[in-house]
Amino acid sequence: MKSTTFFLFAFLVVATNYLQSQNKQLLYDFYGIPQSVMVNPGVKTPYQWHAGIPILSNISFQASTSGITVNDLFANDGIDFTAKVRDRAVNSLKKGDDFGGSGLIEIFNGGFRSRNRPNDYYSFGMYGEGFVTVYWPEDLAILAFEGNANNLNRRFDLSHITGQGEAVNIFHFGINRKIDNRLTVGIRAKVYSSVFEFKSTRNKGYFVTTEGENNILANTLVADVQMRTSGIEEILDILDDDTLSSSEELSKLLLRRSFFGGNLGMGADFGFTYQLNPRTFVTGSLLDIGFIYHTKDVKNYTLKGAATNEGVDIILPDALIDPDNDLWQDLVDEIEVLIPFETNKNSYVSLRPIKLNASIRYNFGERTARDKDCDCNYLTVRPSQRFDYINSLGGHLFVINGPRGPKVDITGFYQKRLGNAVAVKATYTANKYTLANLGLGLNLQAGPLNFYLLADNLLGYQNLPDSNYASFQFGFNILSWNNN
Amino acid sequence: MMGKVCRYLSLSTLLVCLMQSCADEQDFDQFDDLSVTPELASSLFYFESPETLINSAGNAVFYSQEFNFDAFEEGYVADNIMDGVITYEIENTTSKPLDILIEFLDETGNSLDSESFQIDPEPTAILLREVAYGTDGKSLDILRNTSSIRISGINLGDSTSVSTQSEPKIIIRSSAAFAFRLQ
Repeated sequence: MKSTTFFLFAFLVVATNYLQSQNKQLLYDFYGIPQSVMVNPGVKTPYQWHAGIPILSNISFQASTSGITVNDLFANDGIDFTAKVRDRAVNSLKKGDDFGGSGLIEIFNGGFRSRNRPNDYYSFGMYGEGFVTVYWPEDLAILAFEGNANNLNRRFDLSHITGQGEAVNIFHFGINRKIDNRLTVGIRAKVYSSVFEFKSTRNKGYFVTTEGENNILANTLVADVQMRTSGIEEILDILDDDTLSSSEELSKLLLRRSFFGGNLGMGADFGFTYQLNPRTFVTGSLLDIGFIYHTKDVKNYTLKGAATNEGVDIILPDALIDPDNDLWQDLVDEIEVLIPFETNKNSYVSLRPIKLNASIRYNFGERTARDKDCDCNYLTVRPSQRFDYINSLGGHLFVINGPRGPKVDITGFYQKRLGNAVAVKATYTANKYTLANLGLGLNLQAGPLNFYLLADNLLGYQNLPDSNYASFQFGFNILSWNNN
Repeated sequence: MMGKVCRYLSLSTLLVCLMQSCADEQDFDQFDDLSVTPELASSLFYFESPETLINSAGNAVFYSQEFNFDAFEEGYVADNIMDGVITYEIENTTSKPLDILIEFLDETGNSLDSESFQIDPEPTAILLREVAYGTDGKSLDILRNTSSIRISGINLGDSTSVSTQSEPKIIIRSSAAFAFRLQ
């Protein structure tokens, strides 16, 4: 494999990420971490300003599979690999099973409290994110593994072809406003600079082999399948170039596209935190309500039509009229006319995968008199009053709009503050990938330096290749409270 | 004091969980052992001639024509075809015995292989023949080098009689079911 191809593969699989679950349940409402404002623009912001350490302020990766694990196939267990693929994938996986990864790297991130309006906290930054999600093409996998000869009358459903992926660089600016002591709201504007995208969803059609009307067999294909791509062709052209400069060219291209040289889009995030009573808070956020308009380096592939083939027909006396007619080529041409495989460069709009977060948090444990809330603004709040909890229990709902409809994660969490410097958060999450996802987050504050480490599905680390889900994120920030 | 203990406990729990992550031994080279050999089936050609046309040709060859047939010669098919069967069904509802010859020809028109069928006049059962290629049959090179197929039909009876059946015909149906190595 050429190094540039490997680079692209790695870029796709590792450096990009973000749909699979994209749930950030550990980060959500863990508001000692400034990046929590990225998953809820209306989260509490108890700091004066913050500055993420460039490149290191938020790095996160996620990978997930449903129905099968890497270990199921690649464990060095002496079982015939073809048998494992047949039994554990082809005969077991369903069309709803998927594979993917997502990732995010924050290039820079900062925020500051307005001097004139101390209840406003402004945040801004740039990050790259991406994801790849491919659904298991159940019927096509069976067709590829078994063929059609022993599957007469079985319809192989083309709607099982579903996948999408993208890499995008995002510039953002958000305003977080404390309306009063009970309500904080926030909004974030985003500009998307797409690096590449591919998407094949909402396909329809089938392939079936039946007894023929005239001949022994009839193969019928009814297809309405398409794949939209943008930004892929130019990358492939560069990768096809074997000269030494191709890596350099690729880097330049990716960099240019990351900084408004590709397809652009706009979007917004919304969020709030509301205090129901002195101990209970509800929050919510809607993220990535936006679109990208793809006009550059677009190439779309379509296969649309219907045809039934019973082989070459030689029916006398008609076939004698033109005995030199190329019957085979006529058959091929006829099928290509009935089901043309075409490409076009039509511009298109892609909607971002919208994410919904909602949570309820109940605080308990006695705060000292000094720690209790005061009716004061952020400039005069004491360090011990930055947080409203000592212990808290709660629930979190996450929904993301995926290619096959919404995916839902439900989380229960426990959060504890250990003095002003340490906070921990433990989560239990149930989703389609695992019902035993235990996560643990740690937020450390050493003077102005903030460090956080959030890891999901800890039980999976007992044997990582046998895990259906893994995620990990960490970051460093410099925080300034009102007294430093 | 208690706070410090909790602090270090939390940090160490998280780090231990992450650092103690284990992994069964994986062997990704197994992918090279994957064998995907689906059996694909399709009709090949359909031939039909009415008895009136056979009669009009007299007591002789009523049809002999070759037609281009590149299905097996296509690069991917030729490279990956393993073994399988070609099935012929001959249905004769005419009043005369017929001799049908199907020849597989290479690009220069040389006959690589042939199948001959002698069919009785109606009433007669459908003649069914399966011809194996590959491991337990004829050489796959016959198919790989087949560029065209010639069908010849000879009337072995008279040229005047007419079957009592409605629309008497000679019909040849054919299909192929072959295993292919995809991986």
